[in-house]
Amino acid sequence: MAATFFGEVVKAPCRAGTEDQEEEEEGRRETAEDREVRRQLARKREVRLFRRQTKTSLDVSLLEKYPCSKFIIAIGNNAVAFLSSFVMNSGVWEEVGCAKLWNEWCRTTDTTHLSPAEAFCVFYHLKSSPSCSCYVAEDQQYQWLEKVFGSCARKNMQVTLLTCRHVTDYKTSESISSLHSPFLKALKTQNFKEPPCCSLLEQPNIVHDLPAAVLSYCQVWKIPAVLYLCYTDVMKLDLITVEAFKPILSSRSLKGLVKNIPQSTEILKKLMTTNEIQSNIYT
Amino acid sequence: MASRYDRAITVFSPDGHLFQVEYAQEAVKKGSTAVGIRGTDIVVLGVEKKSVAKLQDERTVRKICALDDHVCMAFAGLTADARVVINRSRVECQSYKLTVEDPVTVEYITRFIATLKQKYTQSNGRRPFGISALIVGFDDDGIPRLYQTDPSGTYHAWKANAIGRSAKTVREFLEKNYTEDAIANDSEAIKLAIRALLEVVQSGGKNIELAIIRRNQPLKMFSAKEIELQVTEIEKEKEEAEKKKSKKTT
Repeated sequence: MAATFFGEVVKAPCRAGTEDQEEEEEGRRETAEDREVRRQLARKREVRLFRRQTKTSLDVSLLEKYPCSKFIIAIGNNAVAFLSSFVMNSGVWEEVGCAKLWNEWCRTTDTTHLSPAEAFCVFYHLKSSPSCSCYVAEDQQYQWLEKVFGSCARKNMQVTLLTCRHVTDYKTSESISSLHSPFLKALKTQNFKEPPCCSLLEQPNIVHDLPAAVLSYCQVWKIPAVLYLCYTDVMKLDLITVEAFKPILSSRSLKGLVKNIPQSTEILKKLMTTNEIQSNIYT
Repeated sequence: MASRYDRAITVFSPDGHLFQVEYAQEAVKKGSTAVGIRGTDIVVLGVEKKSVAKLQDERTVRKICALDDHVCMAFAGLTADARVVINRSRVECQSYKLTVEDPVTVEYITRFIATLKQKYTQSNGRRPFGISALIVGFDDDGIPRLYQTDPSGTYHAWKANAIGRSAKTVREFLEKNYTEDAIANDSEAIKLAIRALLEVVQSGGKNIELAIIRRNQPLKMFSAKEIELQVTEIEKEKEEAEKKKSKKTT
């Protein structure tokens, strides 16, 4: 054992040789109990797609059952709030499915009372024109992609992704304090020919998690897709961050869907007040 | 690079950063917005009030605190750190008055707070204070003052400034709208503070708290009704301005 300057205790590697090696190997050998635990954990972490009303699971992937020309995915509470206030308040949206999943980050398994702050995935289908939106998504990307997209190429479909990231993740030669956050950056697949509504994400910045998985999938299957990434310094639900997505309303994928912008702002304000989480740490 | 140099406050990174101090500035951005305006005969502090839980006593959730009869402060960031800084400043104000028989100047108490904060950026085993403060008041010479401090221990005098969440947006608004006309009289300065806050406050007037100090007068906290009145006036003025604009274009 060794102690560092800051008082942490660190295990120093043993230079005596092979004495401890056999014990370590024994510990590493997997027992039947370990295998059972691993199996149960894999079962618990399975992504399940089902209809909430009937509680029946979907046998095929979501987009096979409900093909659409525009697929809009919002990830994170600000992107979700933007979609629910500006897009979903126009037209009649029918809920067609829900993805239920569990992982170590989940704090709730309640599917009945959803809000932009909950980590869950609900799919809506517009009756008047075929398009879908995903409410919010978390871990288990590959399974999620399989269950939603299926394993074959989707023709005549365009995917739009909205998500947020903290501005300290943005790599730039300028100082962060000089950046005017929140700001939008775009990343698109090769087949996306439309000009994006903001500047492209520069190197060496990268996209993480589900948006990256979806974009990679779309690039491989030659689906036109664009990700709008909002860099903000407020990751919780915030009016200014949500409004930073507004330039996207002029894009072709969202133009036909957005009708009532003043009403959307009112709905957004209501969402803010109902979802305020009490925290006394920061004032 | 950051990950090797950001755990201890006393370690500089090779390119000269003190990452803990910079992270403390991120903690400030987690607090709600506070704005300070220095008028001709008035100083104004406006804050975005956090919504209080149903069972919580509102009086204990305050962002604007008096340090002495003629100086007050608004902060953004870690509540507990603010409490410690405020308590020490209040003691210092009284200690100074007893020693020198004069009230502190706004600059003195600001320097005291900034020095305290700086000490915590240079001590082993301690972390910086995660708050920025706006300190306002009048000195004996009758001149209004507004100072801002940040976690690194720097302080500067300002004509108008904002701290906390969306501070940049508010500061840009102030840069465009802080004119000699805007602070010509007390009510205009108060309206400017409220208008700046309304740029970023999520739910309008009921989430705003306002305090003013006039020359030779004690701190005055505005009641919710008074703030509502101001907000209504501002909205009327906005509507009238928009009507005039549309008339001009037609």
